Amino acid sequence: MKPAPFAWERPGGLAALLARLAGAPGNVKLIAGAQSLGPMLNLRLVEPDLILDITGVPEFRIARVEGDTLVLGACVTHADIEDGRVPDLTRGALRRVAAAIAYRPVRNRGTIGGSLVHADPAADWVSALTALGAEVELAGPDGRRTLPVERFVTGPLTVALGPGEILVTVRIPALPAGAAWGYVKHCAKIGEFAHAIGAVRLEPGAGRGRAVIGAVEGPPVLLADARPLFGGRIGTDFAERFDASAADAVLRAAGMADAVERHVHVTVLARAVAQAAEPAPVHLPEAA
Amino acid sequence: MSAALAEPRSGRLVLPLTVNGRALRVEAEPRSHLGDLLRDGLDLTGTHLGCEHGVCGVCTVLLDGEPARACLTFAGACAGASITTIEGLDTDEIAGELRAAFNRAHALQCGYCTPGMLIAARDLVLRLPEADERRIRVGLSGNLCRCTGYAGIVRAVMAVIGERRGRGIGPETGAARALGPVGARIGETIVAPLQPATAPLTPVTPAAVADLTASFVPAHSFAQGLDLAHPPEAVFALLGDIEAVAACLPGAVLTARPTPDTVEGGLQVRIGPIAATFRGRARIARDAAARSGSVHGAGSDAGGRSATEGRIRYRVEAGPTPDTARVELEVGYTLTGPLAQFGRPGLVRDLAGRIAADFSRNLDARLSGTAAPASTGLNPLRLLLGLVRARLTAWLGRA
Repeated sequence: MKPAPFAWERPGGLAALLARLAGAPGNVKLIAGAQSLGPMLNLRLVEPDLILDITGVPEFRIARVEGDTLVLGACVTHADIEDGRVPDLTRGALRRVAAAIAYRPVRNRGTIGGSLVHADPAADWVSALTALGAEVELAGPDGRRTLPVERFVTGPLTVALGPGEILVTVRIPALPAGAAWGYVKHCAKIGEFAHAIGAVRLEPGAGRGRAVIGAVEGPPVLLADARPLFGGRIGTDFAERFDASAADAVLRAAGMADAVERHVHVTVLARAVAQAAEPAPVHLPEAA
Repeated sequence: MSAALAEPRSGRLVLPLTVNGRALRVEAEPRSHLGDLLRDGLDLTGTHLGCEHGVCGVCTVLLDGEPARACLTFAGACAGASITTIEGLDTDEIAGELRAAFNRAHALQCGYCTPGMLIAARDLVLRLPEADERRIRVGLSGNLCRCTGYAGIVRAVMAVIGERRGRGIGPETGAARALGPVGARIGETIVAPLQPATAPLTPVTPAAVADLTASFVPAHSFAQGLDLAHPPEAVFALLGDIEAVAACLPGAVLTARPTPDTVEGGLQVRIGPIAATFRGRARIARDAAARSGSVHGAGSDAGGRSATEGRIRYRVEAGPTPDTARVELEVGYTLTGPLAQFGRPGLVRDLAGRIAADFSRNLDARLSGTAAPASTGLNPLRLLLGLVRARLTAWLGRA
C-alpha cells in the first residue's frame, strides 16, 4: 500500500505549471487534494514518473461572482463550499451537495476541479454540475477555452482535456428565482461512492428544465430538455406529472439493460423530483 | 528521516513542518505519506494506519487544525503545514472531555480506531450545533470501528456536545480559513527529482496454457456485436490470422507463438489514469464449418497483483445485406487484485463498447486494404499521450 517512486514538483504559478506540463518527459500526473488519485497511487494502480502538485497556484484558490455566474478555482474544496466560504448563487444547492461528499477529512482536502477531472461516474460533482449547467474553463498551450461539463466528461474516468491542458475554473450559473432543484444519491453506506444519482434543475415559470441520471456506467445521462419526463410540459405541477416510464425508456435507450438497475436509478430520480417540489429544510442533510 | 538535515539526499524533500507545536525540518521521499512520516520518521505512533486508501479513518490527524487523512496527504503536499496528532491533544480541553466520556461510555475495546475516532469526534464537538444522534453517526461514518458497534462512541460524543452546549459553548463555523486543501500553502515551490530507478521487478511467469480449462466460469460476461461491410468468409479468414487480430486490437502485442494454437503476449489496459499491462498466454480454437472460434487466455500484471482470465467466443454470420458480416462476440472474464477494485463491471462494459468500435474500425481498414493499423501496444509516446488525455486506448482484461 505504498506508491511507486515518483518525482514531485509544486509550481508556484499557472504559467510555470503550464510550461512544466508541456515540457516534462515521462508520465506526468497533476494532483490537487489527492483524495481520488491518492488511493490509486497507494494501490499502485497509477505509477507516474512525475507529479505536479497544483495547490500552490494562487489562481486555483479563488472564488468570485461574475454577474450571474459563480466562478470557483479548481482547488476550492468541498468543505469550502459546505462551510459557505464561497459565495452562493444556488440557494444552498451547492452546499448541500458538498456537505454529503465522502467524509469531512476528505472534504477538507478534496477539490471540485480534481473531482471533475478524475471523472468517476459516481462522483457527486460530475452529476450535480452537469444538472446545474456548469462550465469548465481550461488553459493549455493554445490558450483558454470553455466547455459545458457534459462535453468535458466524455466517459468513465475520461475527460476532454487536450495534451498540456488543465482545468482552471468551474463556472456555475445562478439558480434563478422560481427555479426548483433536487439532488438525491443512493449509497448503501454513508460516504461511499453512489450507486445511483438523480438531479433536476427545473424552471416551471419558463417551462424548461434539465435532468441528470448519474452513477451510471459512462458519463451522466443528461436530459438537457427534461420535458419528456413530465409528459411534455414542465409547469408548477411537475411533481405530479413525473413519468417514471419515460425515465426508464431514457435509461433503456442509454444501454442500461438491467431492469433492477434501471428501477433503482428511476426511483432515485423520482426522489430528486419530489425534493425539488418540496425543498429540503435549510439545515444541511448530512452535516458530517 | 531525522530532523534538521541541511541537504536532502537525492530525490528527497526537506519539509519545514510544525508537529504538535514543535518546528521541525523533516526529510522524506515525495511518495511518503504523512502517516509514515509521523510514525517512522518522528516516532509518533499514535497515528495508526489501516486501509491506506482513505476509507477507514484511523490515520486522521489535524492539518492546520482541520481533520485530514494522513494516508492521502503526501509529503510534498504539506510543506509548511502545522500538524497535530493524537499525542498533541494531551492537554486539549475537548480531547480531555472526550477521553473521559469514551472511558465512561465504553467507547473503545481494542483501541485501534480510537486516535482517529477522537480526532473526528473532536471536530464534531466543535462544529455540530447540538447533540443530534443522526448527525453524529453521519459524522463518524468515515471512521470504522469493528469492536464497539459505535453505540458507546455515539453516546460519548453526544454527552460531550450536550455538556458543552449546556455550558453555553457554541459551535464553530470555520468561516475564516483560506480556500483550498488544508495543509497546502499557496505559492511554495518544491522540486524533488526522481531517484535513480531501482532494479526492475522480475517478470511473473505467465499462466500455463494447461491451466486454461474448459470449465472456466467467468465472473462477468457480456455480448457485443460488430457489423462489417465485408463478406463473412473474408472476416472469418482474417480472424484466423492471430497477428492481424492482435494488430487490430488496441493495446495488444504478441511476443511468441510456441504452438500453432497458442500465443504469448501482453495486453495494455487503461481506465483513465490507471494503466496496467497483463502478460500471459492464450489458446486459440477455430471451427471453420460453423465460422466460429474462441480465444481463452490468462495473465497477470507486472507486480503479479492483478490477474485476469477471460474467454472470447465469436461467430461470423451473414450481415443484413449481401457481402456484409456480423460478428457476434461473447466475452467472459474474471479479474482479481487491486485493479478489480476500480474496474467495476459497468466501467468495463462501457470500455468494451469503445474498444469494440476501435477493433471493428481497424478490422475494416485491414479488410479494405487501406492503411494497416500499427500495433498500438506499448508505444511510450502513445502511453504518454494517453495518460495526458486520460483517454482510454486499450481493452480491459483478457476480455
